[in-house]
Amino acid sequence: MSEAIGAAPVRRFALDADGRRVAFAVLAAAALFAVGDLVHPGFAGAASIEAVALNASFVGLVAAGQCFVVLVGGIDLSIPWVLNGAAILLVTASLGQNARAGFAVALTLGMGALVGFVNGFGIAVLAVPAVVMTLAMNGVMEGLTLGLSGGLTCGACASYAPPVVRAAVNGGFLGLPAALWVWLFIIVAVTFVLGFTGFGRKTYAIGNNALASRLAGVNVRAITILLYMLSGMFSALAGIMLVGFGGQASLGMGTPFLFQSVAAVVIGGLDILGGRGNYVGVAAGSMSLMALISVLLAVDMPEYGRSILYGVVILLLLLAYGRNRAAD
Amino acid sequence: MDGETEQSGVAAIEGRGVSRAFGGVHAVENASFAVRAGEVHALVGENGAGKSTLIRILGGLIRPDGGEIRVGDETVSFATPRDAHARGIRTVFQELTLFPAMSVAENLLLGHEPRGPSGLIRRSALDGAAEAALAGLGITHIDPRALVEETSLAERQVIEIARAVLRAPRVLFLDEPTSALVEHEVEWLFAIVRRLRGEGRAVVFTSHRWREVASIADRITIMRNGTEVGTFPTIEESEAVRLMTGRRVGALYPPLAPAPTGDTVLAAEHLEGPGFRDVSFRLGRGEILGFGGLTGHGHRELFLSLFGAAPLSGGALRVGGKPLHPRRPRDAMAAGIALIPEDRKTEGLLLPMSVRDNLTLALIDLLCRAGVIARGRERSMAQRMVATLQIKTPSLAQAVGNLSGGNQQKVLLGRWLLAEPQVLLLSDVTRGVDVATKSEIYELIMRLAAGGRGVLLYSSDALELSHLCHRVLVMREGRIVRELAAGGFTAEDVVAAAVGETQLAA
Amino acid sequence: MSASLAAPARLTRVRRYLLHNLGLNLALALLVVVVALYCGVYFAQQGRFPGNFELTSTVDNTMPLVLAAIAQTLVVLTRGIDLSIGGMMDLTNALAAAHMKAGIGSMLGWSALILAVGAGLGLVNGLLVAYGRLQPILVTLATLSIFQGLAIRVLPDPGGAIPQAYTDALVNTSAPWALVYVVALALLWLGFRRSALGVALFAVGNDERAARANGIDVIRTKLAAYMMGGVFAALAGLVLAATATSGDATTGDGFTLRSVVAVVLGGVSLFGGRGSAIGAMAGAFITMMIVNVLFFTAIDPLYQSFFEGLFLVVVVVLGAVIGRRFRRG
Repeated sequence: MSEAIGAAPVRRFALDADGRRVAFAVLAAAALFAVGDLVHPGFAGAASIEAVALNASFVGLVAAGQCFVVLVGGIDLSIPWVLNGAAILLVTASLGQNARAGFAVALTLGMGALVGFVNGFGIAVLAVPAVVMTLAMNGVMEGLTLGLSGGLTCGACASYAPPVVRAAVNGGFLGLPAALWVWLFIIVAVTFVLGFTGFGRKTYAIGNNALASRLAGVNVRAITILLYMLSGMFSALAGIMLVGFGGQASLGMGTPFLFQSVAAVVIGGLDILGGRGNYVGVAAGSMSLMALISVLLAVDMPEYGRSILYGVVILLLLLAYGRNRAAD
Repeated sequence: MDGETEQSGVAAIEGRGVSRAFGGVHAVENASFAVRAGEVHALVGENGAGKSTLIRILGGLIRPDGGEIRVGDETVSFATPRDAHARGIRTVFQELTLFPAMSVAENLLLGHEPRGPSGLIRRSALDGAAEAALAGLGITHIDPRALVEETSLAERQVIEIARAVLRAPRVLFLDEPTSALVEHEVEWLFAIVRRLRGEGRAVVFTSHRWREVASIADRITIMRNGTEVGTFPTIEESEAVRLMTGRRVGALYPPLAPAPTGDTVLAAEHLEGPGFRDVSFRLGRGEILGFGGLTGHGHRELFLSLFGAAPLSGGALRVGGKPLHPRRPRDAMAAGIALIPEDRKTEGLLLPMSVRDNLTLALIDLLCRAGVIARGRERSMAQRMVATLQIKTPSLAQAVGNLSGGNQQKVLLGRWLLAEPQVLLLSDVTRGVDVATKSEIYELIMRLAAGGRGVLLYSSDALELSHLCHRVLVMREGRIVRELAAGGFTAEDVVAAAVGETQLAA
Repeated sequence: MSASLAAPARLTRVRRYLLHNLGLNLALALLVVVVALYCGVYFAQQGRFPGNFELTSTVDNTMPLVLAAIAQTLVVLTRGIDLSIGGMMDLTNALAAAHMKAGIGSMLGWSALILAVGAGLGLVNGLLVAYGRLQPILVTLATLSIFQGLAIRVLPDPGGAIPQAYTDALVNTSAPWALVYVVALALLWLGFRRSALGVALFAVGNDERAARANGIDVIRTKLAAYMMGGVFAALAGLVLAATATSGDATTGDGFTLRSVVAVVLGGVSLFGGRGSAIGAMAGAFITMMIVNVLFFTAIDPLYQSFFEGLFLVVVVVLGAVIGRRFRRG
């Protein structure tokens, strides 16, 4: 892949480049399954693919939120503790009772939206850099989650997710786990929103040039705030799904998702400066990432080796996707 | 100081058959240009003729795709401006290259700071050295301790020029050095230029003001469409303009319809905002009202404020008879105002996005039903505008960044025509646009006015203002200093008022 | 010549100094406030003011973050960000714990080698950013993962040992000796600020394009910034090992984000070209003082992150507001 570094900076058409990146992400996933099948026969079988997809669905949900904010050149570092807080809020608010499930889910999603609103307000209105604002909010959510739950020692903290929520995640429908149906629905919905609505068009416009968008009458602040709210809600949704999947909440369950969501977004071909890429690529990126992790686990790669390889893979993809826009 | 005098046959710097394309469009194509030691050489041509690109190539900022650069009798290749500096070639680029968060002194002496025995910069001596250096060039009004971001645009231009001159270059390129300078600042610059010439150095400059060119240049090179048309010791203005545009002066501009007597569409009284004060004027339906003035003298801020993109802190604004307090662009748009900003690449277009996306952006909310874009309507709307304005693009899906400058500008105009505004604020709409498109844009503006719209037109090209506008208001230091009324003014009058010349040629 | 316009009113010396170093001055003022606050709550709890022991332990405990904050500053000034600082600290910390033996030769040799490793790690980041033209945030996120993996490879389990003599040489636990280091680092910074490289660093952070047009070698400047950042991160890893007297391949992880917080509190602009390492050092002490204040106000330690996060937002927003007011006059 290293030839790409030295390649002449040919001016490419933006849409072609986007398509190329999505294709890359899909190919990467396919290649990983192929390689996995070689080193670990059966890896590319239906059951194994389904298992990888199930894992990818959680990352994919979080990455959907990350995708929205990265499209306007932002980033959401508050994901870990929004997700963790959401998981704990769901079980403590529902007390594991079906009767309270609807209320608890609504409350949890509302919490995610509220955190996202605060993030978006700080970034869009108070002009705090996204890195700083969301980093600080991650701390705020960590402190609140730990403090209010007494470090997950509260009476209600040991509750399980309500049976309906668990069924909605673990149940099957037409031979596929329900969590995958949820993800498929999200893939379609996010792709539709980004590709076919005014909101999506404005999102790309802001990501490409916020000033020009404002001068074309786009309400940049409102859209930015909405995008961060979406990110908060997707983190909360992932928290709900995870706690529904595993039954109980735990501390630190959100931590891996920050790195993984950024990785999925990058592998999926989004430009970290905003304005380029789509969620199909990010979904494929989530699959690739989880396939990679599964392959490495299947061959008993030790933790340090996995950590090194994640980094190397991301660097190679970055180099393959080409130089950043500042170059021209 | 290397005061070696060149043989008149050997050029101080020369470009032979130089070419450079951006995204398939030739900015400079097979251009040749030679500068002799001890001369002042003017490089003239329309916006987009390739002057700036040629200067960037000779200054080492960009590499040519083809051709040869010679210094003395050597062929050279500049990878960076550093290499050009080593050959005694310094350039003041059109986009200023100062560091906003650093002091004037740090900027001025960058790389040449007074140093102590340890090799570290002596801060105590820095400001004094800068002050002395500035004084040596006759500049006493700029505080070397101020940060560059605290200085005015004109001061920055002076600092930038001073920095280049202080390095005692053999060849000094100045790309539009006077665009923000008032009369006495221009005089200051020309005194410096004469001094450099007296020392056997070469100065190349570009300017849109013919009077400046005529008063100081020893030779004049004219460029058109990326290549040189010829080099002349002296040339008549009308002949020069003909060579620059490829046609007679008048032919570029369609005849101006008589000033309308209709009702007022926009009335401004004592408007005040960041960068301008006490601005009052009336714009009639069908009128093209020009705004003249130097860069940085308030017109930009005025237009942004009228459009709600910058705050209006005082005064009253009425549009179509109704009071308007635009707090954001949407407010102004709702009142029927459209703004075509100065820099279409950074303020107007979304370059990586498609022609269609760019055309419909301002109307996207109207094209949505329940939040979903009505794609069919959107496509037909975009197609209609591409046809109306004869935008040359392979498809609606083409990224705007891949179109030529003229077609990019048409896309931006098309976006706002779709919004069917009552008042158009146009800023330098023909910058970087080819001659044919220019002519089309002029006709379009006149057609829009004839259709009953009001047009406010800012242009850095005084000739354009004098041919296109019914009246021209000239701004200086944030105020309207002169109104040039219908029919009786020339481009020279506009420039004279803008630079603050005391006696106005009648 | 005719160019002399009427000289505009020039700023007074004091006002200009305050304005031009606003971020630094606000950070120092904030440090004074939080130190006073700390002394206040300490007095309320203990009935006396903090003494030599508190000062010594605070300064010692803050040193690794001070060094990490300097590393972060160097990179942030070029308009970058280094998320791999924690990983570099992990790796250097692990190397020291795994290999360093008592004996002056081993201690000096490994220290030098580890600093060189830090420079090498920084160089990798720099090459990818400057030559690869990749976004710093993504490059260093990827190298963070790589460095963390390498650290675990070097020291799979916490442990190893740091020679007592090394700890004694670097960390004096009986007197606030580390304050001398702080002063030395501040002086070093002031000197660097006056070197050609220091000027180039600020120029590149201010406007990369303008720096190039002025003949500054942008690539070399960035490489130098990332390499120096690596050296300071390695130094932070060594001091951390010396303080803990043993190694841990994950002990540096928290320092990535804390170094960003210190830099932001220290008034260094994340958009590059503005700020001072002295401010970032103050920022490091501020974060540490906040932890101490929370400790003595008997706030449930579980809420610690909440207050730290809140504090960060409030400081950044207030800083921006004060800056705007101050500039307007």
